[in-house]
Amino acid sequence: MLLYALKRLGLALIITAVALILLISMIQLIPGDPAAVLLGPLASPEMREMFRQQMGLDQPALVQIARFFGRVLTGDLGTDVLTNRSVLVTVMEQVPFTLALIFASITWSALIGIPLGCFAALYRGSLADRIVGILSVSSIALPSFVIAIYGLLLFSVKLGWFPTIGAGDRGDPIDQLYHLVLPSLAVGLGWVGYLARMVRASMLEVLSENHVRMARAFGLEERTITYRYALKIAIIPTVVLLGMGVGNMISSAVFAEIVFARPGVGKLIFDAISTRNYPVVMGAVMITTGFYVLCTLIADLIAAGLDPRVRSTL
Amino acid sequence: MSGISLSRRQMLAALAAAGFSPALYRSAALAQGGKVLKVRSYADIQNLDPAFRKGAPEDDVMRNIFVGLADMTPGDTWKWRLDAASKLEQTDATHIDFTLMDGLVWSDGHGPVTADDVKFSFERMADPKLDSPYKGDWEVLDHVEVKDDKSGTIVLKAPFPPLWNVGLVFGSGKIVSRKAVEAMGGRFDTKPPAQSGRYLLKEWQPKQRVVLARNPDWKGEAPYFDEIHVIPIEDAKTAELGLEAGDIDYTWVEASSIPRFKKTPPKGGKLAVKPSLAYVWLGMNVEAAPFDKLEVRQAVQKAIDVPSVLEAAYFGAAEPATGIIAPGLIGHREKTLYSFNLDAARELLKKAGLDSGFECTLSILNTTEFTSAAQAVQANLAEIGITVTIQQYDSGTFWSLGDQKSGDSWKKVQLIINRFSMQPDPSFATDWFTPEQIGVWNWERWNSPEFGELNKKAKIELDTQKRNEMYVRMQDLMDESGAYVFLTHGAVGVCTSDKIEPALMPNGNPIFHGFKATA
Repeated sequence: MLLYALKRLGLALIITAVALILLISMIQLIPGDPAAVLLGPLASPEMREMFRQQMGLDQPALVQIARFFGRVLTGDLGTDVLTNRSVLVTVMEQVPFTLALIFASITWSALIGIPLGCFAALYRGSLADRIVGILSVSSIALPSFVIAIYGLLLFSVKLGWFPTIGAGDRGDPIDQLYHLVLPSLAVGLGWVGYLARMVRASMLEVLSENHVRMARAFGLEERTITYRYALKIAIIPTVVLLGMGVGNMISSAVFAEIVFARPGVGKLIFDAISTRNYPVVMGAVMITTGFYVLCTLIADLIAAGLDPRVRSTL
Repeated sequence: MSGISLSRRQMLAALAAAGFSPALYRSAALAQGGKVLKVRSYADIQNLDPAFRKGAPEDDVMRNIFVGLADMTPGDTWKWRLDAASKLEQTDATHIDFTLMDGLVWSDGHGPVTADDVKFSFERMADPKLDSPYKGDWEVLDHVEVKDDKSGTIVLKAPFPPLWNVGLVFGSGKIVSRKAVEAMGGRFDTKPPAQSGRYLLKEWQPKQRVVLARNPDWKGEAPYFDEIHVIPIEDAKTAELGLEAGDIDYTWVEASSIPRFKKTPPKGGKLAVKPSLAYVWLGMNVEAAPFDKLEVRQAVQKAIDVPSVLEAAYFGAAEPATGIIAPGLIGHREKTLYSFNLDAARELLKKAGLDSGFECTLSILNTTEFTSAAQAVQANLAEIGITVTIQQYDSGTFWSLGDQKSGDSWKKVQLIINRFSMQPDPSFATDWFTPEQIGVWNWERWNSPEFGELNKKAKIELDTQKRNEMYVRMQDLMDESGAYVFLTHGAVGVCTSDKIEPALMPNGNPIFHGFKATA
């Protein structure tokens, strides 16, 4: 297991490095002078040149890559050229908002989706199974932004139950949770369907295996067989999916952060790309890539822990 | 659905009663109470140093935490009023006397606001060493003479009427503390070392809100609200929903929403439509074939049915423009020299040897308004046989298209729809079309020495009538070049809660410290 973990960690570092090299290479190809965009029409040529130097854009791509990784090793992600604040501070201020949104979304979707999948598998072919199937596919088919906008119109504008914008008052966790309801509904609803379908399929496969039949033959309770033996195996692909899902939700969070005017790292990256604020783009992508890789790493390690056969796949 | 009538407060109470938390109701009740004004900004602040401000988000905050000698008056006409000055008087063409009002003090123990602070602030802005992007606002400043602690004289190198419409009344005229700023090394970013306005910057939560709290040391007329929360909301539609849900008290709305809100006001709010100062036009690169031929450019001028373009882009909420200078400003014209005439346009193309038509590109920013406008232009030009391919760009790419130092894209620009923002002085509109601006912001690459000369002279002309004639002539020259089709100045839709009485400049820009509750 230790060897597997070390191999997986090495792979994670390589993935992060490749992602960042790709990003820096893309930055070289994007049209538009960052200094002109950032400073606006009134800036002097000298000031534009100074900004290019501050962002390191006067250097060849390879030098930029080497400098960036050199800084990362010392824990320095550079300086936001617009506010003169540390990129690390700027990004880390936004990370908790995005993490809260992602975990709220994934938690409620897992709490509903996994039991629904189990239920559908146990009552395979029943009317309830069909209803769950239709609802699951519908929730997957509904675009998140449609849920977000209609959620706003119904629950905020029409009924006035939930706030439309922001992340709640700082230092007031209840208010912050309250502001999470609609965004997490929009981000997580599709995942309820995904998880229900995934768990149902896995459960059906596991429930038909020999060891489950043997457990039944020994006279174990159906509840014990389902939750203690079958679900433990059936959940493995779902755990991996959740690991990937948490990473993918960073992308989904962007639209939620824009529609609900929430702070967050997704919106930070979006804004920084629009204004060509490359130090912030690179720093934020570094953090999100690291987070994505970490999530998939944890998911893989959990899967390897649950199923020893996985350890031999790397 | 209409049967459900739980308010947010009731909803929270119900949740609290259901055992979620008693604090839930309490926190929401607190959030809804108090004299707090919640307003939308289109972006977060980036720099609160007046010399390095980035745009309206900073201007809106700075107007509350700093004072200037003068400020703009809310209302429908462009007028200035005294702000930190108790006296402000132009004694001759190049001298302006000022006296500061009593009781102005800096926050954080930096003492009283003095005439020396005024000298420091204005001379700093013009200092080439500081290289402020706004140094042009004070380009004719010679120096500021300090007479005593509270009075002095602004001495100019030449007469400069734009100073009264721009330099003194907007961000470039804000006063900063010499002592505090010098202690910071000469400039600052998002943490002002000393403030003196009606409000103080209490807290900045990046990407979330700027909290301004009433300045306890402010000795002038007290503002109504205890706090102002400036919330960055990039998406206008989200802000509109936020206003209807009661989460914010002020926002401006997209042009496409103006007709809807005119018909049915936003829930719990009201709409005011203000004329914008900005200008939108269709430009032609005079160096890019076939637009290097005057006849072709004039054909395009005559082929564009401006009202149909505006109907598509602004849903009838915007009026056609007659130039780059908006109504109400010196230099505004009543009409253009060209008019819509398809037959004449076809005749001009024939004269240019292009009666069978040609293909060209139209570059635009990827916004809904510009896309709709571009499609209408495309349809208009198809009538005379010109096939237009629309090329949309994100803002980062678009704003470098005509910049000669950013690459070769300027050579490929043929037609372009553009929009420049504006201050209430005509020089702010004309500065970008001079020969010196070719390849910088003059993307049409139109070279008129006469225009350039007039631009210089009009800036220092004190006679309003003569100044007006100069700016009219400059726009006539633009018409005659054929390189411009003026589309609109647009319209600004401002929505406020019906519990708020806003204080707005003629173009809808807010003066937050003047906002009050409805009587």
